Amino acid sequence: MKKQPVIKIRNLTKKYGDVVGIKDLDLDVYKGEIMGFLGPNGAGKTTTIRTCLSLLQKTSGDVKIFGLDSHEDSIEIRRRTGYLPGDFGMYSGLKVKTILDYLLSQSGVSDKSKMKGLAEMLELDLNRRYGNLSKGNKQKVGIVQAFMADQDLIIMDEPTSGLDPLMQQKCYDLFREERDKGKTIFMSSHILAEVEEVCDRVAIIRDARLQVVEDIDSLKEKMGKKLEIEFENSVDPSLFQMEGVEDFNMNGKRATMIVTSNLDEIIKKISQQNVLNMSLETFSLEQMFMTYYSSGGKGDEVR
Amino acid sequence: MKFGKVMMMELKNRWKGLTIFSIVILLLIAGLIQAHPSIAEGFEDKLEGQDNIEIRMDETEEGNITITLSWSDWAEDKEVDRYTVMMGRGPSFTTPLLEEDVGEVETWQYTLLKENDEIPERYFGVVAHVDGEREFVGMETSLEDENGIEDIWGIDVSDIRGMISMLWGMWWFLLIGLYLGYVSVNSVSQDFEERRMDIIFSTPLSKRQYIIEKFSVLSLYMLGLLAVSGLVMIAGVSSVGELDTVSSSTLFLSSIFSLPVFMVIIAASILAAVYFEDSKKAVGFSFLVILVQYGINVVVDLGEAFEYLEPYTIISYWNHESILFDEIYHMGDFFLILVLSLLIVLGALLIFERKDIPA
Repeated sequence: MKKQPVIKIRNLTKKYGDVVGIKDLDLDVYKGEIMGFLGPNGAGKTTTIRTCLSLLQKTSGDVKIFGLDSHEDSIEIRRRTGYLPGDFGMYSGLKVKTILDYLLSQSGVSDKSKMKGLAEMLELDLNRRYGNLSKGNKQKVGIVQAFMADQDLIIMDEPTSGLDPLMQQKCYDLFREERDKGKTIFMSSHILAEVEEVCDRVAIIRDARLQVVEDIDSLKEKMGKKLEIEFENSVDPSLFQMEGVEDFNMNGKRATMIVTSNLDEIIKKISQQNVLNMSLETFSLEQMFMTYYSSGGKGDEVR
Repeated sequence: MKFGKVMMMELKNRWKGLTIFSIVILLLIAGLIQAHPSIAEGFEDKLEGQDNIEIRMDETEEGNITITLSWSDWAEDKEVDRYTVMMGRGPSFTTPLLEEDVGEVETWQYTLLKENDEIPERYFGVVAHVDGEREFVGMETSLEDENGIEDIWGIDVSDIRGMISMLWGMWWFLLIGLYLGYVSVNSVSQDFEERRMDIIFSTPLSKRQYIIEKFSVLSLYMLGLLAVSGLVMIAGVSSVGELDTVSSSTLFLSSIFSLPVFMVIIAASILAAVYFEDSKKAVGFSFLVILVQYGINVVVDLGEAFEYLEPYTIISYWNHESILFDEIYHMGDFFLILVLSLLIVLGALLIFERKDIPA
């Protein structure tokens, strides 16, 4: 069955005067998935998110969310969408509960049970004044407000920024739980491990243009594995000039290579030598990301 | 979406500041009205025995002034041996410029030379000699009118209505207006500067409703403050025994009728806030509007030569003087300014709807 996009972006361009924020961006985010949105600072992640929510006026292109126009129907879209901005503030003199009650009521939801449950899970004291909270606790308030109205789509910009690793894990659990309930999550992040851990697909943006949209497992598959071997004696590099081996590098008795295929043959070749140590490592998204950017982001030249 | 939630949040966020300001305003109103009897007395202060002496000042052909003093009413039924008239720069006569024995006549004439084309300030004292005793008849001055405020503003502050009118027109507008401008700007620009806009508009709230609710809550606050101010004025005027001079309803309505003027300030300040997205610039703009409006009003009051400026200050549409003194309510002006405030809000809305919300 053809998957239905919850977010459908076509040729989206946003300019700030002469400065291009995003250019001709096409992206689909499907129901029930967690889509990660990766890119360096200033690449256009926040601009894309804020344009989708009509906080910014698009210069050209088309954004449909739930099949509705992002600008014309922004109120209906926001009724069904939870949003956590990347950089936000709230009423510093008011209690967290007062603020969340207000935002919840603005979304037309009277049931506070989810809000209380989320606050309990994230160990957030609702009776404290927002201005007295630490950065991490303020971020928790943002996460609670994004999920508390139990909306169909959650859009988050750097959702776990400022949280400690334990709390980050709790958030990842929350994101997965929500996804499993059928919610759609579109989140930007610069924490690659986070995207790797929770996202089903990733979109990478660079210099205002979308570079790649890929299933994370497929992306890893394409990227190959990193093989490191420590031999007892020096070996002839020509031994490893074979299909599926790239970027072979010999440094004394230590060899590194990227294995994209033909792993069985490579292992057999290695076994003909005396091996002291060996490791086969799947690329982390971070390594892929760094490799991708250092290569100039040219698709198959990633490796 | 239900109307009023943004208003409630604004009140929850600002109630302390608004309450303190309201208390200050109400105390000032109450205090100034309580002080009115002594203020009025101060303006009524006359020179000692001034009622006993009549003064006439006639311009001579040379352009100087002939002063004629007469105290015949005082002299009635008195057997006076002679009179002495003194003239000095002040009312003490310790070192008089002139001291003249005028005999038994009850008038005295003197030609005062103008200095720099102006009548010099001189005080005249008359002393009667009765049975060898000196008796002070009274004093007069060449100053035509000692009430400077009445000279400049055309308002008699010894009248409670005059004083309230002067307070409204002279600095009430300025005091309330500047605070209201500041609060109105901040009600919007703080949402920008404290990065609350994204969270606020993550909910299904339209920009239109946001602006209208901000405008409404401040207008309602102002209506409440003016209503309570009106009641405090009534209580104050009653306590100083002046309710026979001005009725309760007149006092109350003179306060309420200023609402559209303050609504214009709220609207202009909100417009500045959405246009500049920066509280310093927006407050600067708002204050400039208020001060220019106030300045025009001051200039208009200086004389007929500036009356052509009157339509350009919103204060003149308040008509507090005609309400207080004549109980005339200019409903046309009231609604004109009300509509102006709504048009400015509409302008703010159009600007806001076309703008990006800054990150």
